[in-house]
Amino acid sequence: MFVNLAVQLVVLWALWTAVFAESGKELVGEWDLTGILSYGVMVFLTGRVVRGGDLQMAVASEIYDGSLSRYLLYPLHYGVAKYAQQLGNVFPNILQSIVMAACILPFMGSSSSVDLHVTGLLMCMPSLILAHLLFYIMGLLPQLVAFWADNVWSLSVLMRFITMLLGGATIPLSLFPEWSQGALAILPFRYLFEFPTLVILGKVSVNDWLTGLLTCAVWCVVMSLLVIPVWRRGNLRYTGVGI
Amino acid sequence: MRYLRLYGQFLKFSFSRSLEYRLDFWFRIIMDCVFYLVEISIFLVLYQHTDLLGGWSLDQTLVFVCGYLVVDAVHMTVFSSNMWWLPIYVNKGDLDYYLVRPVSSLFFLSLRDFAANSFLNLIIAAGLLVWSILRLPGEISAVNLFWYLFLLGNGVVVHYTMQMFFEIPVFWLHTNRGLLNAFFSSTKLGERPDAIYPTWTRRILLTVIPFLLIAAVPARVFFEGPSIELISLSLGVSAIMFLLMVAFWKLALRSYSSASS
Repeated sequence: MFVNLAVQLVVLWALWTAVFAESGKELVGEWDLTGILSYGVMVFLTGRVVRGGDLQMAVASEIYDGSLSRYLLYPLHYGVAKYAQQLGNVFPNILQSIVMAACILPFMGSSSSVDLHVTGLLMCMPSLILAHLLFYIMGLLPQLVAFWADNVWSLSVLMRFITMLLGGATIPLSLFPEWSQGALAILPFRYLFEFPTLVILGKVSVNDWLTGLLTCAVWCVVMSLLVIPVWRRGNLRYTGVGI
Repeated sequence: MRYLRLYGQFLKFSFSRSLEYRLDFWFRIIMDCVFYLVEISIFLVLYQHTDLLGGWSLDQTLVFVCGYLVVDAVHMTVFSSNMWWLPIYVNKGDLDYYLVRPVSSLFFLSLRDFAANSFLNLIIAAGLLVWSILRLPGEISAVNLFWYLFLLGNGVVVHYTMQMFFEIPVFWLHTNRGLLNAFFSSTKLGERPDAIYPTWTRRILLTVIPFLLIAAVPARVFFEGPSIELISLSLGVSAIMFLLMVAFWKLALRSYSSASS
């Protein structure tokens, strides 16, 4: 985890220093160098919380080895039970992210393009909770394909690649070409990583924050509506002794 | 010759096994294609805001990225599945079956499983590399191209060797998940042009943890012409790393205590 952060810092710093130096610009998009480095650090830390308790192959494995059966007897929906487990797993990540933020942010220097405040931190909480829920529901979809397919590891990894790029975990979405901005705004991915990070960096007004939260909640409902029929049809195929 | 015949058998078994899971076969191909798209997109976005990165134009960077994708595809095809199984063999004691065979255990365990689905991706990655090279303005020197491809081959060895350094501690630790996560995040260091790093970081990335030898140095030799310094550094460091890894493997085998390990 610390290696991960160290690598992230080295790559971020080297890459963006080179971009700013070779372009000769003071601002890239709406970001200055310190601002974009802060974004890179914060998106890494918030991303750890959002991805915390990543399902990995948990659901698919339970379908394959038949251990899903015991969950079907519980007086609680399987999806809710798994989410409760995921929530439990996320707390170490939250703690690590807070410690790392406290260690790094004092050394980041001042920036004209970001404004780190307690208000942003407080506004970020609900954004992170909804992002975590959305990430969980989106991660369920490829896992449930395990009812039909022999191996869904590649589908889960595929989902991770797409969410990382289109969610702004690699580069802020505002730096993407103009023609893609409309589509990026409509898609749910930006609410996973970029939105909570921009909120914490003080780059989202209260109105935009409320709209963002509402949109993210709507995406959670839409994704759940997609998951439910897949779950029901998959259950009909489930043999109870593993596939 | 005996090892080549053995490898031929590995290929035959691997192809027939991968075709048993046809849906997964296609999922993996799509997954890798999306990975290629993501890697290329990152640089396309960056070049919207600068003309040069690490002294390279967009066309040059595309050659570098596609070179990296080819190395990654070769690794996924030839080594990746074997690396996945190694910790399981060690912890379950299944390594015994490989140690008693009359061939090198390192050869057998590193090359036994050939990922046939990733082989298709290797063809796609190679196609991307050809496309990126053809995009380059001006004439392409055959000598530079030869050294580029040769050093990319060396990059495959470096990638494999580096991953083995993170795999082998499983003999003592019993789980190397954390180490492997560290390895996979460290590979990001090699996915960016070498000239963006400050002098000392670059030196470390060329020698101690030589991720820049995987694709960045080959690309530099391709663009700037063969330099004795860079070529001997690449070959020397990868040879030393490989020998150290083999010694590390032998040391680890001495600590292996079969099923109770």
